[in-house]
Amino acid sequence: MITRVQWLADDAERRALIAAHPESILVSPDMPLRANLSVLDNIAVIPQYRSNLAYDPAADQAWALLGRVDMTGMAFKRDPDLSHDERFVAKLLRAAIARPPVILVDRPGMLLPDCHHPPRVAALLERLADLLNDCWILDYTWNAPLYPHR
Amino acid sequence: MAFLTDFLTRRGAYLLATWRIWRDTARFAGRAFVTAATPSAYNSATRGVVMKQIYFTAVQILPGFTLFAALLSFVLIQIVVGTAGEFGLSEYALEVSMRLLVLELLPLVTALFVALRSGSAINTEVALMKIHGEIEAMEDAGVDTLRLEFMPRVIGGMISVLALTAVTSVLALALAYLAVYGPQWWSLPDFNRVMGKVFDTPVLFGILFKSLAFGLAVTVIPVSEGLATPRKLFMAPISVLRGMVRLFFALMLIEVAFLAVNYI
Repeated sequence: MITRVQWLADDAERRALIAAHPESILVSPDMPLRANLSVLDNIAVIPQYRSNLAYDPAADQAWALLGRVDMTGMAFKRDPDLSHDERFVAKLLRAAIARPPVILVDRPGMLLPDCHHPPRVAALLERLADLLNDCWILDYTWNAPLYPHR
Repeated sequence: MAFLTDFLTRRGAYLLATWRIWRDTARFAGRAFVTAATPSAYNSATRGVVMKQIYFTAVQILPGFTLFAALLSFVLIQIVVGTAGEFGLSEYALEVSMRLLVLELLPLVTALFVALRSGSAINTEVALMKIHGEIEAMEDAGVDTLRLEFMPRVIGGMISVLALTAVTSVLALALAYLAVYGPQWWSLPDFNRVMGKVFDTPVLFGILFKSLAFGLAVTVIPVSEGLATPRKLFMAPISVLRGMVRLFFALMLIEVAFLAVNYI
């Protein structure tokens, strides 16, 4: 997996970059979970739909991903009951289970407003490293001091 | 002249907007129909949504709705049988009550009940999905929402309306038999003869098509209205209001069309 931070000058640049990568899956504040599905079902529906898997094996895959990040406790919660961190993890796993060429983590500061997000994102990506292809973190240049290595 | 131009421009804009929404509804119905007719469109996820839709639309309401339909049928059959007796037309009571209930009233009442209960819920859910961006999020993750979310609702709704109509119609037949012949079974040949006269093949196909048309309307119109909702939260109740009004007129138009075909 190659992780990199894509520094952005403004919103227009962010939108252009996302539009230029239609093959990617976006982990973004603008891409909510399905509100009437649990976290487990939000993740499982992707292989169910894309790989024609039956529900049980798809749910097993989703459960295994939740186990990797020690978040099985939120499996049966729905979106309104999730913390920011739980919601971010659910979105990241929903993207990861599809195994796209690129995952774009869009403005992590908006997804994780209650913590120092760069180490949290890095720790999660580390745990999923063997499942992911490229992962780009899209953040504004003025957030650069938050990151340990630039 | 300026007043007239302004008036016509406004009316024209309104008519165009109305035309667009009906055009989009017809387009959506066509796409849903084509997807539903494609075997590869079905997987465990779509089957799950179809089953949930049938459960919430038909199974959950079955006891209460059956009881209501039985009560309505019983009262109307008693009125028809009593009135026919007063006019010396008792031999037509069974036929008239069956035409009134099974051909006309029960399919319409079923469709209206499903529209109020499930159509409004579907409209609200789809409108909120659109407003919150859930549809885009699913599409971004490579999920065709027509296949996963909307087509199964249409299929489930059509099956539910058809099944509820069938259950209530059979119940009405049984109640009519009891009202006309009493609690005995040796008049079954007479009953069968009258039913055979009322429910010939074209009539049976007519009930089937009408129920399917009702089922299509109670799902397609709420979904398409929800999809047309602008991404503003305050538009959600307006979307449901519009959807329900359009649905009411569509159901009435279907009923009037079938009445005209059958009786004019």
